[in-house]
Amino acid sequence: MNSPPPLPAGNGTGLLKAVYRRVVDNFLAVVTVPLAAAALVAVARFGPEELTGRLLREARPVHLFLAAFLPAAAATVYLMLRPRAVYLVDYACFRTASNCRVPFSTFLEHAKQVPVLNERSVRFMTKLLERSGLGEETCLPPAHHYIPPYKYCTLDAARGEVDLVVFGALDDLFAKTGISPGAIDILVVNCSLFCPTPSFVDMIINRYKLRSDVRSMHLSGMGCSAGLISVGLARNLLQVAPRGTHALVVSTETITPNYYVGSERAMLLPNCLFRIGGAAALLSNSPSRARFRLKHVVRTLTGAQDSAYTCVFQQEDDYGNVGINLNKDLMTIAGNALKANITAIGPLVLPASEQLLFALSFIARRVLSGGFRPYIPDFRTAFEHFCIHAGGRAVIDELQRSLGLSDEQVEASRMALHRFGNTSSSSLWYELAYIEAKGRMRKGDRVWMIGFGSGFKCNSAAWECIVPAATAEGPWATAIHRYPVDIPDVLKH
Amino acid sequence: MPAAATTVAAGLATGPGSRVTRFAKSTAASVTPVRPGKTHTLSPLDNAMERHTVHVVLYCRAAPGLDREQLKESLSEVLSLYPAMTGRLTRREGGEGAPADGEPSQRGWVVKCNDAGVRMVDARAAATLDEWLATATGDEEMDLLYYEPMGPEPYIWSPFYVQLTEFADKSYALGLSCTHIHNDPTAAALFFQAWAAAHRRTTSTYPPFLHAPAFEVSPPSLPPPPPLLAEKSSAASPASADAAAMSSATFHFPAPAVRALLSSLEPGTTPFAALAALFWLRVTGAANGERELTLALDFRKRMYAPLPWGYYGSVVHFTRARADLAAGLPAVAAALDAHVAGVPEEDLWRAVEWLYARQQQPEGGAAGPFQMYGPELTCVALDHVPMYGAEFEAGAPPARVSCRVGGAAGEGLVIVLPAAEGGEARDVVVTLPAEATARVCRDGEVLRHGAQVVFGTKAGKEA
Repeated sequence: MNSPPPLPAGNGTGLLKAVYRRVVDNFLAVVTVPLAAAALVAVARFGPEELTGRLLREARPVHLFLAAFLPAAAATVYLMLRPRAVYLVDYACFRTASNCRVPFSTFLEHAKQVPVLNERSVRFMTKLLERSGLGEETCLPPAHHYIPPYKYCTLDAARGEVDLVVFGALDDLFAKTGISPGAIDILVVNCSLFCPTPSFVDMIINRYKLRSDVRSMHLSGMGCSAGLISVGLARNLLQVAPRGTHALVVSTETITPNYYVGSERAMLLPNCLFRIGGAAALLSNSPSRARFRLKHVVRTLTGAQDSAYTCVFQQEDDYGNVGINLNKDLMTIAGNALKANITAIGPLVLPASEQLLFALSFIARRVLSGGFRPYIPDFRTAFEHFCIHAGGRAVIDELQRSLGLSDEQVEASRMALHRFGNTSSSSLWYELAYIEAKGRMRKGDRVWMIGFGSGFKCNSAAWECIVPAATAEGPWATAIHRYPVDIPDVLKH
Repeated sequence: MPAAATTVAAGLATGPGSRVTRFAKSTAASVTPVRPGKTHTLSPLDNAMERHTVHVVLYCRAAPGLDREQLKESLSEVLSLYPAMTGRLTRREGGEGAPADGEPSQRGWVVKCNDAGVRMVDARAAATLDEWLATATGDEEMDLLYYEPMGPEPYIWSPFYVQLTEFADKSYALGLSCTHIHNDPTAAALFFQAWAAAHRRTTSTYPPFLHAPAFEVSPPSLPPPPPLLAEKSSAASPASADAAAMSSATFHFPAPAVRALLSSLEPGTTPFAALAALFWLRVTGAANGERELTLALDFRKRMYAPLPWGYYGSVVHFTRARADLAAGLPAVAAALDAHVAGVPEEDLWRAVEWLYARQQQPEGGAAGPFQMYGPELTCVALDHVPMYGAEFEAGAPPARVSCRVGGAAGEGLVIVLPAAEGGEARDVVVTLPAEATARVCRDGEVLRHGAQVVFGTKAGKEA
């Protein structure tokens, strides 16, 4: 179950740490093996016939019956009341059309032609894009290619984008899994900023002719971390559903209706970073044909604090234009939310050795007033792969720093940001697709998905791989051979 | 994509009463990103064409694979082969620091291939293709094209404009407008070939050849100016107020008509010479005696080291032919033929050297760009260009191809193009002062030789 990091060569403390890990993680084995050996030795000394003879003589039938029945009954009750395990059968991401590509120069040229944006705003957007970590292949929906874009961001255009993204991803998913739409029992869709009537779930039901008793929900307004909220909701429903239930989870963000037509700088960021994207995942509570097992979903909401509540806030600027205001202390708040989430998920996923160290360091900091630094648990002992929400370069840098991750572990996030931009809630699925397309996923590997979103929310999901992907089919099929790329600090254009 | 023409940006709108409505302007980017830092230097001949624009209209009949979305997709794909088209112009002032990649640091326009894309305009026409071809005037055809002149900031100005006009019967007119600095009419027409090939998911027979040093010259000192270009450069640029308004008309000469015309001339006369002579005589009217006619020739295949058809840039050479108009059509045609056959390549190189040296002079009134097409009557020979090879559906050549050159104010322009039926058939597009065009459209001689007026003037539309 645990695969501890490899033994570092020639380092005394490293060796000590590895031995410590092996002993504490397998503490149960370390304790029971000697005891079992002692018991066997004792039995051998007494002689087997004498022991069984004594037992049969002293025991009455009732005792024997209870000794057999009670454990069996307890085991049965435990197994039946245990919530069902939830599995991921497969997932598919929207494959962006190459003629929706928006190179930097085109984006800036269009910005210069929008009368509302003044020189200062355009310079700000240029600087932002240069340092954003986005590449030249990110895509915007068709409506955003017009000059000026906001005149063509109509309700029809937004529905067109939904058709393109959601139905594209769903067609891929149905083809990959071979499941028929009539077999879907649960449908959960999340799209934060676009909420038409009838809703997304009705659009999907109408297009794919789902059954009339499908349990469907649309989560709107839940921000960029809503992908994991949908997964959590689908999990809750699957855990109490009969075996063989299938749930479809669709995560997307429709950016057509959300072009900010003002010049307030803090509100121009979403225009620059958000790109078109979406993903669909099929979950089930039976392990047949499953590729991943969902182990934990942990959600942390810090909205009780005012600063966290207002840090990503949709509001009108001085001229009445609606946009999303990103506060300057976003990174600090994200860091705090992450700490809270780690505290919640740590005990569930970390091996005993790390938890013990964390507890000891916690006690030491409380009891001894020396300046002990807080011990950051090494999450590489708990997970092999990390999918960090590609919210922006700053988010990934901050998380790499606070979790102590290596460049290779955040590579999936950085490359997904470079190739697809910030696709909001579906970015985690693009990153998982990157890891699989690179062939790095093995059976038994554990994946940690971390999503951040307005609220301020930090949500985590822990998955374990059962069957890795067979091919590199998917959104990365045409580009994976060019990755990883070196992303410069300031992009030249 | 947007169906309603609710708000039309200023400048997109067509004139009142026009049957064409432009409803959206967007930018088409290529599929593959361009390597950053790529540039394309324009030759001296390209730089000299700053005053002119090239317009080509291709009419495609309705077909199942022909719709707006698919055309836009194939356009994005073909733009990957033309990184210079999606770039933006910047001026290089010369003498500034060390040359970037070993190129001599010279003055002139440079295309910075920054991947910005070409402008695309979506439009709709309230007529079927056949109605349009039967009833549209030469000036109305300009509604199928869109062009914005360079503003104060060349860096955000797109040199290329593609207008997709959908007719009522789902036929399309593809209008390409560009500055002559980038492409001459041959290159623009062959771009359509490449686009059509990309649409059919195959490769073009004339792939683009972007090779700036093709016209690299290094004359030792200011060479003597070629007489024709010297005259053009010193001609006072006509103020737009007193220049007569120009209008266009298109004449179609079916193959039998051209054969009949050729049979009445000296044997071995080319269709271009015959038609150029015919129109020269009819436009100049009753003038007699020795006159001169400027011819604009595409020199791609006339050079000792011929350039490929797909050469990206201008290879137009202007030369002056002399003939005695009183001697009659056969003699004039023969004189034109003789002149065209005898133009030495040396002349072209002298012109390029002189243009290059002139370009290197510091910015000032004397060395600015001047009008190359005109102001005297100019005949452009484009009938050797394979314009009808652009098949967007396999086996379906375009219904018609039209070509215009903008900025040719003065006595006008006569462009000889191939016609849809192939063979000896020709289309002749004339852009003359309005009353001259009207006169030529009704001219008995022209009509006697079998011309059909396709896009006439507003006044008369007799076929």
